[in-house]
Amino acid sequence: MIKEILKNLAGRKNAIAIPDLLTMPSSEAPNFVNLHKSVDRIFCRSLRIRLVDAGSCNACEWECTALTNPIYDIQRFGIDFVASPRHADVLLGTGPVSRQMELALKKTYLAIPEPRLVIACGDCAIDGGIYRGSYAVANGVANVIPVDCYIPGCPPTPMQIISGILRLIESLH
Amino acid sequence: MERVLNKAIKIKEHLNEQYLEVKKDDFKDACVYLYQQRHAILRLMFAADERQIDETFKIYAVFSIPGIDKFFIIVLSVRDNVFTFPSITKEIPAAHWYEREIRDMFGIIPEGHPDLRRLVFHDSFPENSYPLRKDWHISDTDLKEWGEGIKQKVPYKFMEVEGEGIYEIPVGPVHAGIIEPGYFRFSAVGETIFFLEPRLFYTHKGTEKHFEGMSFFDGVRLSERISGASSFSHSDAYCMAVERMAGLEITEKAKAVRTLLLEIERLYNHMGDIGNLCAGTGLQVGYAKGAIIKERIMQLNERLTASRYLRGVNVIGGVKEDVLLKADDILSTVDIVTKKYKELMNLLNGSISHIERLENIGVLSEDIALRLGATGVTARASGINDDIRKAHPHLLYDRLEFESHTMARGDVFARMMVRAEEAECSISIINALIENRYKGELTVEVKGIPPYSSAFGYTETPRGSVFYWVMSDKNGMPLRVKLRSPSYCNWPAVPFAVHGNFVPDFPLCNKSFELSYSGCDM
Ligand code: SF4
Repeated sequence: MIKEILKNLAGRKNAIAIPDLLTMPSSEAPNFVNLHKSVDRIFCRSLRIRLVDAGSCNACEWECTALTNPIYDIQRFGIDFVASPRHADVLLGTGPVSRQMELALKKTYLAIPEPRLVIACGDCAIDGGIYRGSYAVANGVANVIPVDCYIPGCPPTPMQIISGILRLIESLH
Repeated sequence: MERVLNKAIKIKEHLNEQYLEVKKDDFKDACVYLYQQRHAILRLMFAADERQIDETFKIYAVFSIPGIDKFFIIVLSVRDNVFTFPSITKEIPAAHWYEREIRDMFGIIPEGHPDLRRLVFHDSFPENSYPLRKDWHISDTDLKEWGEGIKQKVPYKFMEVEGEGIYEIPVGPVHAGIIEPGYFRFSAVGETIFFLEPRLFYTHKGTEKHFEGMSFFDGVRLSERISGASSFSHSDAYCMAVERMAGLEITEKAKAVRTLLLEIERLYNHMGDIGNLCAGTGLQVGYAKGAIIKERIMQLNERLTASRYLRGVNVIGGVKEDVLLKADDILSTVDIVTKKYKELMNLLNGSISHIERLENIGVLSEDIALRLGATGVTARASGINDDIRKAHPHLLYDRLEFESHTMARGDVFARMMVRAEEAECSISIINALIENRYKGELTVEVKGIPPYSSAFGYTETPRGSVFYWVMSDKNGMPLRVKLRSPSYCNWPAVPFAVHGNFVPDFPLCNKSFELSYSGCDM
């Protein structure tokens, strides 16, 4: 037993255990090690995300919740969702931004200390998606606050969200 | 029924729907008779702008009597110049939100309603602006200020609780976790919740109006996007409504596919919900196990339909994907899920501290659940035996043998156990469905939508009953699409369930109801 733990510890640097349910089509698979390294280097091992649901259908949130389950386990990259915008580096917005959530989204954005980044997650958040043109939506996060990265999909799968976050981080180089 | 039938000035029958139009003076009487004497359940209530047909707005109150597979719909015409109708809320409390919604959306005032504050729109939405009237358009109103909250056009007055030691805790709309937005105002005495007033509709997206801007066929995509985790049930009910309106009968095979996917949807939801309750009590290992089971089913969904939320399968007239061809995959996944689920339940039943947290908190009494018109797991855990699959059998449900599970205690534990039993029941339905062969093509041809026709579609989602009512205009385009999601019925029950509980137990109580904000706010 102890031997095994030691062996695992020794090999930890280059091996991130991948659970069997984590299936990655090679085309969309983000480079896991890269993500880890980038978070290490740019964010000193800790990237904190505040998610704001601005009128989504909730599927986008479920996929973000799935990121924290033992299969995707996004925490092992140093990425986590936090409760307060004051603790966050990134705001991840979902939904077309219903007019009644506009103010809350803006305030949450302003509550994040600078420098802050914004991800618009899901087709709705990009341009209103299926809800585009309805009287009660603002047709996307970018119409309310500045956006740095878009993740398309309805909803984007957990893997696509991870890829999106990686893209955002890489663009910071 | 005589009493209501005698009063009807116009009777229309369509499938299992009986429309009884009454005079204004008889409206309340007819509704109250059904509710009090026949113990009918108010399924939904809504208005429609039918001025292009006969110069009137119509109010529809839809009842179903336990044991009868039929909907009794009391219809009232409201003329252009009066804009009022008699409120039935005092007698039938379940009508309270519907009536306020009609006021917000159509500007028709329920006379005698005890609470005429706005429901859907918040303070800065312009006054005298009624989006669901046919002649209303965005550009008519000054919407610039809306959402900014700068100018309060119609101030909302929260209910105030006064007394020694009472203080208020406002929470939201942005919450700590990854959840949807809503605002809660607790009035607490020490740690104990004395009163809770939720303010919802932050995610109001004008969905019903949005439906009117697209064809019935495109509407399927929108119906899948009303409440994420019930995507399939919503689109199923929507398609059913349009198909019934167009006089279509879908094939046996399409019915089988829909029934199967409905049960798979129920299964992944219930698994996830049982796990989420563990997150509420701090039993991380239970949460992790639940999440893994759910993920397994979501991945099955993706293999079956290319969507983790079973989207893109339903079309008007049938289904696109013959998932029954992948029966082996379904069976093997369900087998693993069953095993893992048993492990999870053993773990939970053995965790005394977990169970202890769930027992006797968030109690919703049968009486209140009944009066507020609660539905689904919420109702069944409070002892109300109401399941649309049994009450109004559709698809293949009349051929399947299953029970609807109830429990009388109405607490968080009961809601968990009802979910657990339903999950087992879904597993056996899935296995039974796969054993058989089904006849027919995947879709039937849609010949067109007849003008000025209407129909209901309904099903039992993992959260409770969902209803759609659709009506076409003279070109076969949507004149009105009304949707009523289960969360809309269950939200008003939450304040009653949490009364007297500790504030820190609120998240757990709330989770046990598993309500959708988006589905409720539309
Ligand atoms: S992008 Fe799709 S899944 Fe995400 S909120 Fe919009 S409709 Fe829902």
